[in-house]
Amino acid sequence: MAQVLAQPEAVNGAVSNGLREDHGGFKLKFCTVCASNNNRSMESHLRLAEANYPVISFGTGSLVRLPGPSITQPNVYHFNKTSYDSMYRELEGKDPRLYRANGILNMLGRNRDVKWGPERWQDWQPGVPRLEHNTDRGSEGVEGGVVDVVITCEERCWDAVVDDLLNRGSPLNRPVHVINVDIKDNHEEALIGGRGILDLADSLNKAAAEARDMNPSGFDSGNAASRANFDERVPEIIGEWQERWPNLPAVWTLAWF
Amino acid sequence: MAAPTLSVEQQIQQLDDARKLVLGDVTYYQPIIQGILPIIGPSARVELRRWGAEFLAETFAAPRVPAQQKETLSLIVLETLKVMIENPQEDPAVVKSIVQTAASVYPLVFRWIINNSYDGPTWERMLAIKSRIFRIWDSAASGVRICCIKFAQRVVLVQTAGPDADPRRGDPMEVSLNMVPQNHPLLAPRNLEAEASGLLDRMLGVFQESTRYSDAILIDATLNTLSILIRARPHIANRILNVILNFNPLKQANSPMTPKLRVMVKSMEKTTRLLLMHINKRYADYVLPDPSNADKYSDPQNPLAGRIQQYVERMMRSRNEIFDEASRKRGPPEPTDGLDAAKRQKLAAPVPSATPRFHVPPLKPGPCTVAELFTVTTDEGLKAFDVSVLTQDLVVKIGITILQKLDADTLNQAVEGVRQRYKSLAAAQPEELDPATAPLGVDEDDDDYEPDYFNAEDTEQILNKLDNAPPPEEPKIKVPDVALQHFTLPPPPPLTPDQAVQIGQGTVTRVFGVMQTLEEPAKKIKSGMNRLAASAYDRDAWITIITRLATRASAGLEEPATPVKIESNGADSSSLSNTIRESLYLYVIEDFRKRIDIAVAWLCEEWYNDKVQMKLGEDAVLHYEKWVLKVLDGIVPYLDARDKVLTRFLSEIPGLSLDVLTRVKGLCRDPAMVNLALTSLLYLVMMRPPVREIALDAVEDIWSTYEDAKPIAAKYLTKWRPGFAERLKSKDDEEEEKKGNGIAA
Repeated sequence: MAQVLAQPEAVNGAVSNGLREDHGGFKLKFCTVCASNNNRSMESHLRLAEANYPVISFGTGSLVRLPGPSITQPNVYHFNKTSYDSMYRELEGKDPRLYRANGILNMLGRNRDVKWGPERWQDWQPGVPRLEHNTDRGSEGVEGGVVDVVITCEERCWDAVVDDLLNRGSPLNRPVHVINVDIKDNHEEALIGGRGILDLADSLNKAAAEARDMNPSGFDSGNAASRANFDERVPEIIGEWQERWPNLPAVWTLAWF
Repeated sequence: MAAPTLSVEQQIQQLDDARKLVLGDVTYYQPIIQGILPIIGPSARVELRRWGAEFLAETFAAPRVPAQQKETLSLIVLETLKVMIENPQEDPAVVKSIVQTAASVYPLVFRWIINNSYDGPTWERMLAIKSRIFRIWDSAASGVRICCIKFAQRVVLVQTAGPDADPRRGDPMEVSLNMVPQNHPLLAPRNLEAEASGLLDRMLGVFQESTRYSDAILIDATLNTLSILIRARPHIANRILNVILNFNPLKQANSPMTPKLRVMVKSMEKTTRLLLMHINKRYADYVLPDPSNADKYSDPQNPLAGRIQQYVERMMRSRNEIFDEASRKRGPPEPTDGLDAAKRQKLAAPVPSATPRFHVPPLKPGPCTVAELFTVTTDEGLKAFDVSVLTQDLVVKIGITILQKLDADTLNQAVEGVRQRYKSLAAAQPEELDPATAPLGVDEDDDDYEPDYFNAEDTEQILNKLDNAPPPEEPKIKVPDVALQHFTLPPPPPLTPDQAVQIGQGTVTRVFGVMQTLEEPAKKIKSGMNRLAASAYDRDAWITIITRLATRASAGLEEPATPVKIESNGADSSSLSNTIRESLYLYVIEDFRKRIDIAVAWLCEEWYNDKVQMKLGEDAVLHYEKWVLKVLDGIVPYLDARDKVLTRFLSEIPGLSLDVLTRVKGLCRDPAMVNLALTSLLYLVMMRPPVREIALDAVEDIWSTYEDAKPIAAKYLTKWRPGFAERLKSKDDEEEEKKGNGIAA
């Protein structure tokens, strides 16, 4: 049962940006969520996709908001209708120096290589096939439009996701772990948070793969250890992860699609 | 490892390809499910069984697959589900998926049994699966147990009475006890309801047991299934809420907090709180204020809203003390204290109001919204309640009842209070603000900022925003706006063709749902010539509506794809009319013996429409021929030798072509069907003189092609085709001669 995860590079924050070789095997399906589906959720979307996990991402805000020339003049866009590329071109046309300096263009440039544009959680219908998203990074494995784990980047988003799932009335009868990893909304914290989320995803996936590899001795018989399946271990895994990442406070629940 | 034909990896690869196919087009589900069932059977390798079980769970959850289709599919897979779940050696991951599938399938099968009470074997299978799930509920691994909870929740939802028995309202696939007729041979409403009640108790038991902390996942899983029960089944809502309000998720916080325990305690507390807040926010029917006692809830339906509010606040305080002060050793304050229902009621009981004085608290200084101006209650929960979620006539009804009961004195006091507020506001009127040019108000927290866009947000987003932010602070509302001002709703966003088609399909699906639930009229009333079609709102009327919708609605709007006028099988089949046709086709084929009259009515409409279109223009797209053949192809494989359906169908459809007759001829490949095919043709020969010749040609063709058919065909031909007997005779002679010659030579 002892589960030691050697992730020194992640803890030190030195390496871990590398593309990983795909060794196949069982993969949990992930979904990352933040307010605008631009900074935190997209950083971790890319991170998880590079590690060959199936992943999709969303924002829970009512509109996509990016910083503007002053705090009272943000740039506001609609979800699902504006592409990262068009935002990039618009802002580059407006004030290339400003938006390069504050990292927005850099961020949008990264995002447009990951997927078309920001998607809103509340407009997403779980279970509807996502075949048309086949060019998104990490789209392989989430064609069915459902995931095993939703990771939000802010408690408000976690609340919105759980409330939205309650609202939908769980028609799909499919369990989903919803985990919040609290990350401040700036580029540096998003980088650190992305590493933390990848570490969490690795830990969860390791446990899930172990549970599946276990020789099935039947669920009626079998001792307690062989029955300690993945879902039950999730709180323990998060607890251990939290010790490694004390600055990213976590909340978890088991909800339904 | 490698199987003689394909390795497991290759098989999975093939299965994945098949899955991609159905994800792209739901019409392939039936053949593919039928194809994979033998592959994933109990003797298959665990990888294949896992794949299959997951696929079944996905199929029956898929929102894109129409409920009708799922119902048909559910009957096909039920036996496989039963075998898999009853295998004690089955892999837990497989069982988990099977229980999920069962939860999705249960309402479908229940609905099927309501409408098809003869189908005892199917119901037996479902009952076997159900009892197996309830047996493993307590002993299986947690991952399976949570799915058992979800299954139980579905069963409770199905086997309790819904608030509205009218199938035309609400979700067309909503299944509830109201739909079960009292004298149903297989389903006894009383027993079903008792079972549901017991199941609910068993589900809620998780909150009352001395909760071991390993139950966090079970508690979360249960809490997250309850919202729909509370909302859709008001009569059990109070029972559920009472149990939750007596549950203390922080109870274990005094034992030494391991990281794991911290995660679990936090999780249970947060999940409980979110559910209760969700209920207080969304479950609007629930909180109806009594105006004579504005800050209390005396509605007998719900004395709980206030309790919920207090519970939530207390939980938040306790949680902050436990987690945020970092003093892990300190025990939790006892939050159950005061949760005891008896004590609580005393607290919340209305103080015998000796002072009828109605107090309207003055407004807080600073800008305020119209809503705040008129809000006279001091209760936070009530303030958050959004009246706009109620239907208009309900609001009117409530309003009238309130005004009738209301003490005039109280009303006057309240009006006076609001008047005072208004005056004080008018006195302190802020400077004019032009909403178009004013800077967007932004507070420090960039994320909390909601810009005031005019028409920029769609209604959904605005509603969402309003829901999330009570009470809204909108400094831009000027006092003069309080007076009635002209207001126009922003125009709805235009529908894309895709959306329009989707909505259209939704409507069609609902009409089919209604048709299924409507009883067939016991006795047909002859309505005579002067009747108006579709005026009776019975099943026939809906059929008329749907067939005309399919044939006429977009007739003439379709572009003929090619110079060939017959509708092609290809790309243009996505139009709404064709979707309806497809649905009609499936509806007919589903039970063609009973629904052949519908097929005929529909095809008559098609035929008529084709004629009209041809008169109107040269390049009309014709549908009749294609769909006649399709229906015929759908029926033919299932025909029984004694079916009268074929004869009836052939004689009643308005046009017969050679293609149709070719199909009938093809039937004779099966010796058992010869008689049926020939009788049908004979009927045409006798009763439909215009097609007599081609029907006789067909009989003659049969005579010359199929050995088994010769005697009967010859009999008919002798009778109806002049000169046939002579030809037959001469031919016989010839053969005799040939034979004779052969022997001689």
